[in-house]
Amino acid sequence: MKRTLNMIGILVLGLVAMWPLSVGAQGRLNILCSPDPAWCEAVKQSFGKATGIQTEFVRLSSGAALARLRAEKGAPTFDVWFAGSGDSHWVAQADGLTEFFRPKAWGELRPQLTKAVDGHYIPLYTGLHGLGVNEKLLKEKNLPVPETWKDLGDPKYKGLVAMPNPNTSGTGYVLMTTIVQIYGDDPGFELLKAIHKNVAQYTRSGGDPSLLAGRGEVAIGVSFANDVVERGRKGFPIRFVAPKDGIGYEIGALSLVQGAANRESALRLIDWALEPENQKLGPQNGEVSIQSHSRTPIDPDVPRFEDVKLIAYDFGKYGTPAVRDGLIKRWTEQVFPLPR
Amino acid sequence: MRANTGAVWGAIGLLSFALGSWTRASGRAGPAVTGLALVLREGIPGGGLVLLVGLVLVVATGFALAGGGRPVGRVLAAVAGAGVLLAFVGVARAAGPAGWGALGTTASLVNLTGIGLARGRLVRGGGFVGGAILWVALLVVLFIVYPVVAILHASVASGGALTAGYLLRTLRSPVFLLLTHETLPRPAPVVALAGAGLGGLLAVAWGGVRRQPVRRTVRVAVTLAAIGAAAGLLVGARGALRNSLLLAVTVGLATTGLGLAFALLDARSRLWTRRLLGPLSLVPIITPAFVLGLAFIYMFGRRGSITHGLLGLDTGVFFGPLGVGIAQVMAFTPIAFLVLSGVVRSLDVALEEAAQTLRATPWILLRTVTGPLLVPGLANAMLLVMIESLADFGNPILLGGGTPFLATEVFLAIEGRFDPHEAAVYGVVLLALALALFLVQRRWLAGVSVVTVTGRPSGGRPVPLPRVADWSLTGLFVAYAALSALLYGSLFLGGFVRVWGIDHRLTTMHYRDMATAGLPVLLDTARLAAIAAVPAALLGFLIAYLTTRHRFLGRGALEFCALLSYALPGTVMGVGYILAFNQGGFKLTGTAAILVAAFVFRGMPVGLRSGIAALAQVDPALEEASALLRANVPATLRRVVLPLVLPALLTGFIYCFVRAVTAVSQVIFLVSPGHDLATVLLLSWAEYGHLGRGAALASVLVVFLAAVVLPVERFGRRESRPGPSAAI
Repeated sequence: MKRTLNMIGILVLGLVAMWPLSVGAQGRLNILCSPDPAWCEAVKQSFGKATGIQTEFVRLSSGAALARLRAEKGAPTFDVWFAGSGDSHWVAQADGLTEFFRPKAWGELRPQLTKAVDGHYIPLYTGLHGLGVNEKLLKEKNLPVPETWKDLGDPKYKGLVAMPNPNTSGTGYVLMTTIVQIYGDDPGFELLKAIHKNVAQYTRSGGDPSLLAGRGEVAIGVSFANDVVERGRKGFPIRFVAPKDGIGYEIGALSLVQGAANRESALRLIDWALEPENQKLGPQNGEVSIQSHSRTPIDPDVPRFEDVKLIAYDFGKYGTPAVRDGLIKRWTEQVFPLPR
Repeated sequence: MRANTGAVWGAIGLLSFALGSWTRASGRAGPAVTGLALVLREGIPGGGLVLLVGLVLVVATGFALAGGGRPVGRVLAAVAGAGVLLAFVGVARAAGPAGWGALGTTASLVNLTGIGLARGRLVRGGGFVGGAILWVALLVVLFIVYPVVAILHASVASGGALTAGYLLRTLRSPVFLLLTHETLPRPAPVVALAGAGLGGLLAVAWGGVRRQPVRRTVRVAVTLAAIGAAAGLLVGARGALRNSLLLAVTVGLATTGLGLAFALLDARSRLWTRRLLGPLSLVPIITPAFVLGLAFIYMFGRRGSITHGLLGLDTGVFFGPLGVGIAQVMAFTPIAFLVLSGVVRSLDVALEEAAQTLRATPWILLRTVTGPLLVPGLANAMLLVMIESLADFGNPILLGGGTPFLATEVFLAIEGRFDPHEAAVYGVVLLALALALFLVQRRWLAGVSVVTVTGRPSGGRPVPLPRVADWSLTGLFVAYAALSALLYGSLFLGGFVRVWGIDHRLTTMHYRDMATAGLPVLLDTARLAAIAAVPAALLGFLIAYLTTRHRFLGRGALEFCALLSYALPGTVMGVGYILAFNQGGFKLTGTAAILVAAFVFRGMPVGLRSGIAALAQVDPALEEASALLRANVPATLRRVVLPLVLPALLTGFIYCFVRAVTAVSQVIFLVSPGHDLATVLLLSWAEYGHLGRGAALASVLVVFLAAVVLPVERFGRRESRPGPSAAI
């Protein structure tokens, strides 16, 4: 009996010891965070320290984040949607889930970006979309580096491709829209089917394919350039390749959630995130792309827009909810279930 | 029951109604308001229901004060019962989440009903038993039955109308099940037919060679043809349903085989390696099922240390269903082992001795005596593992490479598309499969003991294994243990290596990152799990006590529902919780409370089983003696039963705690800003490629849980363990 009571005593002490000290915080902020979790962590720490606001985030890829906002419409748990590709933010604004406004720093943001977003979201960064290629593995297999999206559908790359699932990932969605914009709807879907046969793994998040390619699990990962550069910096043998038939790009976005409970804190975050000093956190934590403030220095490792063939990406069309949902549905029903 | 207990509860209820908040302050519903204030403010139209509840409460208190007669008791039960129902409807319809006032009012009404039942002689054992039964039933219905109903409802209803649209759309979707397609080599029905034909031919051949009677041959032919058809269908088709079923069947067979081998070794081996089997059975308890999958990536990927570094292969074949299958076999074999070792140890040795005196060799003994006795145990183990495999979420999402499985499709339908109807349909299919297996297990194998029996079987020593069998099975075990050690070792090492496979310099970077980002989450998880484990163990024990020591209407149903939560796949319950607790007075999503609720009801079956085992060792005569000395039930429990079962309760508490910390498939739906959990964080790190940090966190988690479980294992070694309870 004594032993039992001792055990209970230890357990109670342990429980009490784990009780958190309540922190007196001025205000809270809940961030829906879509990019590399390291960037989310960095923002949470820096912003929290700079303002004293207790900041929490949940990391969800762009597609999943959109789904979450849709689910919580009217009573959102989040106050601000930080980063993630612009297509999903466009849809959110069209659906009435986010609120667009021009922040104080609007005039100082890069004009191409502010024009392209057409009043739907606040641009945060922009980066190229393409392939992350592990040349070592390809060389071992005596295969050439793919030059076009059509090459990606060639059966010689079977089992060597990784791409994100467009249902959850903005990166995957941009792949779909890029191919459809280059080749047209039906031929585009035929190409997607061909690519599907070569896919070894579908990932949930857009950052994973470049990691898989870097580790040598696959040879080619569909990815935004920032992820590829980041992996390269970490030491993985991976290089960014821009297919010659045209590539898409993303404008990373920042949006205030409609009906946010902590609106004041959210507005402070938005202003904070657009300052050049704080935009530098992005490239330091995995988002190696062009940040939206015109005075933020561009990292030399970022692939330049001038060196590649960009398609005229129709953000408006592919940000329309009906178009987006329809495309994803078509892919899920016609391409994904095919045996590979 | 003395009259003043009823009065006390009535008073508590009235005070809660008048002074406690009916609805909590929330963004949409406005500030908190007490029940009384609500009635006064809104009058009949808005607050009519609340007013009614208040009136019923007053009336019930009056009856409680009125005395202890039988008719009065029954009226009290009826009135207070109606009050409980009204209160529930009122809370469900409320604009904001329920506050302490509403909870206090409902609690007092429930207790008054219990007192009424006891006084009215509808339940024997006094007011405590009456109240306890109601509480337990209420909690089980609210947190187990209601989410299941919510998910069933979502699969067939849209708005207010019933529709089969969702069912048809999802079941016909090629992601769910694909039988024919131009890219498939052969349509699945053709393969099924071929399988059936093969099975039938084999049976006929066997019948012909062994000269069996025609009727028997036909029966065997039909059975084999059916099995062949099913196997053909599984092999030929594609889609989530097929993948999950095929995986469950193969993993079930493999783990049962391995588990049997290890159980035989444990009971009958003559080699010293037998002693390593004990620690083996602890391992699945302290690891979330997908942690080994993480280690798998290090070892068996295309550039994995084993496949590439050691064997020089270049294959990605382990990413996908094969990898998932192997990871599941590694994770679930100890469950099969635990079940089967109990069965093997309880075999009657006298039968074997009799066979030996009839000059049976050890091989013939194994084949004709021991084997058939083991069949129920084998079936039991296989069914248990199949349920675990169907419900497993972490391994398919980490290693599946995007291949659809039922559990992952439920998750992706919600997270990726937020289509609760599609998720509900997948969930219903998964639920139906798990329930079918569970029911088969209960019906067919109800008598098979699952708890490890302590004590010697009757008769002499068990017959040791034949030497060849002993050596080969030990070899198998050593291979398994070596693989396990390798995987865990790579996990520990992975936290210290800069980039596994690329840059092998040692570093503390990952541990430092993990300390800032992961450790607070781990502590938070441990705190919530510890808070949840107390009611889980107590509730489980209470249900065990009520169902074993008392008889009342609905006892069987209560026991069934309580055990049911063990078979319900985590992803299904997760979706059920977000559908059930998302609006009105029951809104719990976005809080820590829903996580605690999920933990409590995942851990409750463990507490239930340990409670049943513990109570089995306490003679009811002790409680009868206490009743003769005019102690009421609470006093008996407190002074007679509890001191005797306390060690088992503690063990149950620890297992509930561990199960809560390692849960992932249900709680991944329920995390919210500021309420993250260690396993969910680990999964997201692993998925996003921060494997170093993930390995560091996984190592810390495993060591922490081992530190918690080992002392309790030594402490409670005399008590029977609560049985296999894998972490999902």
